[in-house]
Amino acid sequence: MIRSLLFFSLTLLLLSCGSESNEQTFDSSNLRRATVEEVDALVEAFILAEDSSTIHIPAGFYELKTQLILDNKTAIRIHGDGMDQTVLSFRNLKSGGEGVKIVGKDITIEELSIEDAPGDGIKAQHTDGITFRKINVTWTNGDKSKNGTYAIYPVQCKNVVIDECIASHSKDAGIYVGQSEDIIVKNSLAFGNVAGIEIENCDRAEVYGNTARDNAGGILVFNLPGLPKADGRKTRIYDNDIIDNNHENFATPIGDGPNGNTVTMIPPGSGIVLLAAKEVEIFNNRILRNKTYGVAIASYQVTGFPAEAPNWSPYTTDISLHDNKYDRGPWSSLPDLTRELGQLVSIYNAHGWLKTQDIIYDGIWDESLATSIESNPMRICIQEPSFKNLRFTRFYLMEGEDKIDAFEDYAPFQNCKPFPVGLSSLPLLHSKAL
Amino acid sequence: MKGFAPNFSKWAVASLFLSLLWSCQPEQKEEVQATAPEEILAPEEASGKFPYRRLSTYGFFEGELDQLSPSEAIIPYQPASSLFTDYALKSRFAYLPEGEKAVIAGEELNLPQGTILIKNFYYPSDFRNPEGERRIIETRLMIHEENGWQAYPYVWNDSQTDAVLKVVGAEKEVRFINQAGEEQVINYLVPNKNQCKSCHNKNESLAPLGVQTRHLNHAITFAEGSENQLAHWAKLGKLEGFLGKAAHPSLVNYEDQSLTLNDRAMAYLDINCSHCHRAEGPASTSGLFLTYGQKDPLKLGVFKTPVAAGKGSGKLTYDIVPGQADASILLHRMNSTEMGVAMPEIGRTSIHAEGVALIRAWINQMNYK
Repeated sequence: MIRSLLFFSLTLLLLSCGSESNEQTFDSSNLRRATVEEVDALVEAFILAEDSSTIHIPAGFYELKTQLILDNKTAIRIHGDGMDQTVLSFRNLKSGGEGVKIVGKDITIEELSIEDAPGDGIKAQHTDGITFRKINVTWTNGDKSKNGTYAIYPVQCKNVVIDECIASHSKDAGIYVGQSEDIIVKNSLAFGNVAGIEIENCDRAEVYGNTARDNAGGILVFNLPGLPKADGRKTRIYDNDIIDNNHENFATPIGDGPNGNTVTMIPPGSGIVLLAAKEVEIFNNRILRNKTYGVAIASYQVTGFPAEAPNWSPYTTDISLHDNKYDRGPWSSLPDLTRELGQLVSIYNAHGWLKTQDIIYDGIWDESLATSIESNPMRICIQEPSFKNLRFTRFYLMEGEDKIDAFEDYAPFQNCKPFPVGLSSLPLLHSKAL
Repeated sequence: MKGFAPNFSKWAVASLFLSLLWSCQPEQKEEVQATAPEEILAPEEASGKFPYRRLSTYGFFEGELDQLSPSEAIIPYQPASSLFTDYALKSRFAYLPEGEKAVIAGEELNLPQGTILIKNFYYPSDFRNPEGERRIIETRLMIHEENGWQAYPYVWNDSQTDAVLKVVGAEKEVRFINQAGEEQVINYLVPNKNQCKSCHNKNESLAPLGVQTRHLNHAITFAEGSENQLAHWAKLGKLEGFLGKAAHPSLVNYEDQSLTLNDRAMAYLDINCSHCHRAEGPASTSGLFLTYGQKDPLKLGVFKTPVAAGKGSGKLTYDIVPGQADASILLHRMNSTEMGVAMPEIGRTSIHAEGVALIRAWINQMNYK
């Protein structure tokens, strides 16, 4: 019943405003409007906060014209009265890169919603100990091209926890953790974004118990070149539902194609994407009905961008993929044709035209390490229980577009020892948050 | 799936129908808010405990406050290049406590505790006559307190008799006639107190930008005549460690047409961008570093892809494409006023046409392989 209702609604949506999802978790329009004095008091509360204090934001709809910035404070708890009760709207924000900005140590923000920030929803930077709990960050524009970049955005942080949060409709990643260390993203929901959850240039991230659905790409692990935190490693992705990630890629206007932002290249229908990723273990996930592929293992060279930077490697290495559940969806769901990677899958995969793939590997290897990929020089280890029923394609892209080839033989990547990801202990997280 | 996640499907179905109703409606027009009446404040004692509520309480200026005539205790200063702030003109002063000195240590200029930097933002009614009638919008104080620097924005009243501390910031409509004789309207935004650190940020501590050795190592006109600012401070007994102009770094003025295009462009990027775009600044996340001495093409943005630019990238691929300014994200973001695209993120609601022209010319003559 639920499925058919959903289907009916989605069809209606398709007919009425194009093939985008505008689903909202709740309707904030009936909430009491906070007065100008209350809004000013809230801005002041952030500015004047003292260490080891609590900022309580009572239920209501707060229309902010200026940023909420918590600056260099320690042990602050910011809490609303629930994500459907306390709503901070940045629709009328006139300047600033994000709605809420946090810098400090041991900060918790919970039980509220953030809507319609022109840039990022909430950003935490240079913060050791940042917990986002039960916050909902979204955009309510019918026209999603107006939406902001990241919903929940910790960057250059340590000891990050994102727990029971919802992130939706961002033009880049809903939950984006960048250049950080010791991270837990759990029991959260990301939908309607270009990318659901993205771990970029991070060390030691655990991503589990989440649902990433109806994004263009579900969960991404990237290392981008030229950043202060050069090459991240050790990510574990487990017990997640990564389903129906078939949303249009609206990071650029529909029809415009990709720009220099890597996420603009993600083909709709992507479950998990690894790009220049190092030491990633992916297990016990349900990877269902993603129309282009379930998992893509790719090197940075596939972007076509310059692939050289100090202390950084473009290759994806030391990957362990095991015990995941796959479902390619109905026969009628065809791989993407709007992005190059989608076209590669649609046309060149090893199983026939327009066949959805469970696992693809771009097969780009470091030729200084081995003369052939048969020895599995990048240490890609795939041990799925029913591998023979899966559609696996390993591409050959080493000689450019004229000599593209594809192989379904998975043996070189099967008889390997899964490397131990060996996540170091997360002392703060284990004592406080788990 | 554990935890609370299964609840979502119920929410989703119920709200889908609601969202259907809403999703396609056009946006409603914003309400126009009336400006608040002028605040009437009780007089204030100069207790010595900062910040004061009123600018006048500090006693920086003599005579009518809006003349901004400095008392003997404060020194006017001008950085070599000026950060663009919606064409606002600025008059700047430094107060160093009695008997205290600034000290040059290497490239740093260490200012003593108790130092107050005073920056007034104003608009002439007619930019063709900058000395004529004017309206002061805000005065920002940076005070070097016991625990480091603090920034305090004071907003001027409409009758220009005083300015009042407003930590939450403000919004002011400003009208003026520009150099070309055209009437301009700008929605000027006074930053909230913590937004000041969006620019004044060095390793997450608030820090002065303009009052640095390299920004002050040039001559300006004082009441007594033209003199190098550092030499002037030294003569007043307010500076230690000055060994003559040549012994210290100095920045150029990007407006100085006699300089090379590269020097002018780098000076422009330095003063307008590098407070964030440097290793110690908040935009270090981007890997784009725009300090004056930057020589690494990748860090300067040459064939560098954006990281977290979102819609700021437009249709473009690289921060700088040598020879192609209009294909460069750097110029695209300078040339926009759209939130989420426009750079810098605060302090600018209009396009700096002269700055855009300078950077366009610079990128267009670039020749990297």
